[in-house]
Amino acid sequence: MGAPFDLSFIFRFFPKLLDTLGLTLLIVAGSLAAGIFAGFLVALPRMYNVPVLKRFSQVYVSFFRGTPILIQLFLFYYGLPEILKLAGIDISKAPVLFFVIITYGLNTGAFLSETIRASVTAVNRGQIEAAYAVGMTGYQAFSRIVWPQALAVAVPVFSNVVLALLKDTSLAFTLGVMELTGKAQTLGALTQHFVEAYISLALIYLVISLVLERLLKLAERRLLRHEQPVSTGGGRFRLWFRLPRARSYRQLIADANAGKGGAEL
Amino acid sequence: MKIDLTFIWTAFLQILPAIPTTLVITLVSVLAGFVIGLLAALARIYKVPVLGQAASAYVTFIRGTPMLTHLLLIYFGLPVLLDALSAQFGWGFKSASIPMIGFAFISFSITAGAYMSEVIRSGLLAVDRGQLEAAYSVGMTTPQALRRIIFPQALSVSIPNLSNSVIGMLHGSTLAFTVSVVDINAKAQIVASTNWKFFEAYIAAALIFWGLTLLIERLTAVIEKRMNLYNRGGIV
Repeated sequence: MGAPFDLSFIFRFFPKLLDTLGLTLLIVAGSLAAGIFAGFLVALPRMYNVPVLKRFSQVYVSFFRGTPILIQLFLFYYGLPEILKLAGIDISKAPVLFFVIITYGLNTGAFLSETIRASVTAVNRGQIEAAYAVGMTGYQAFSRIVWPQALAVAVPVFSNVVLALLKDTSLAFTLGVMELTGKAQTLGALTQHFVEAYISLALIYLVISLVLERLLKLAERRLLRHEQPVSTGGGRFRLWFRLPRARSYRQLIADANAGKGGAEL
Repeated sequence: MKIDLTFIWTAFLQILPAIPTTLVITLVSVLAGFVIGLLAALARIYKVPVLGQAASAYVTFIRGTPMLTHLLLIYFGLPVLLDALSAQFGWGFKSASIPMIGFAFISFSITAGAYMSEVIRSGLLAVDRGQLEAAYSVGMTTPQALRRIIFPQALSVSIPNLSNSVIGMLHGSTLAFTVSVVDINAKAQIVASTNWKFFEAYIAAALIFWGLTLLIERLTAVIEKRMNLYNRGGIV
């Protein structure tokens, strides 16, 4: 299968693959922006217990967490133009990238809405009561008291979602988008050095993941400045081995729900 | 083109026979991944000299790269490696004899192993250290303490995360189409290619996956309830 293994190709493929890095990051950034927006919209009815909308957002989250992203990609690529055609909008000429970002955005939105909900719930109820007690309005209490604390709790889970999204973008090649994976496949097919192409592809993904993880860790530390390290002694959550940094109980709760997957209807 | 509701049903029926393939891939990768993950987690927790670092590197690499690259690397790399070794030592083994689904099994097991190892590690770490000390104080050896005291409790703590991993592997198994294994996703493509009703076929496939996922969630809830029986009452 293919030409004999040649280590030098791994390095030769790097610059060629890096040309498409921008597209991969564009998909990640675009979907993240769409996802944060969608996540908020979907989380609100569930946080404020709006009767009918609550049910809708439950079904939305359940669907996007309960079906593979690959199926969702195809579903939107083939389905969205037909559904919008019923409403008289023609998007069959829209670029593939548009469908890719929409799908990843809606998918990320489902995961983020759960994160947003969990981290807002994680903020102590007494905090809001205290805010009301000093005369803040509902909006003020949210934006000044709840939001900054919830953000800090959400960052670890958010960072998991971002990394999962980065890895999921490798599926965009199935719709013919020339991002990192698509480019690696083309290079492999051109030179018949498939293994080398995929090794350099994997290395690039690895480096981006590590960098993103490090950046988000910094953001988390910055957001948690207000919080004194809380010892996690006592109860079932005591750990036998020392963690790199003492973490609050609230964060452990938020972390526990970090995995991707699951429909929860 | 109108949305053809009856074709969703037709596609649904035609995709059903592909469910076992998807489930087998999921099951094999989860079970093999659990064994790999357990070994990797123990190597890291006990800081076994070389193995511990190797396990860390393995987990970092796999979790930092997409599942698709693992599959492609195994699919293109393993035959080259095996054929070279086979030629070197004269095993008389040809990589062409590996069935396509074998590549999916191997690669997904490796992927699942890394994710499972994190789940298992956090489960083991969540068990109170006093439990291990109590086991030692009644004279158990380390393997006995692990097997009888730590593992059961760690398992019950990790059930939700394990279920997420299983669901993740179920969804990940859709990638098997890249190595020409006919799972639910590939079957939907095949069904649709006869009349170009891709949307309808993928709705059917999505419904099947949704159903399977909800089923796993339900099963998990039952298992979790059963597993946590020992833990009821008290202050928790």
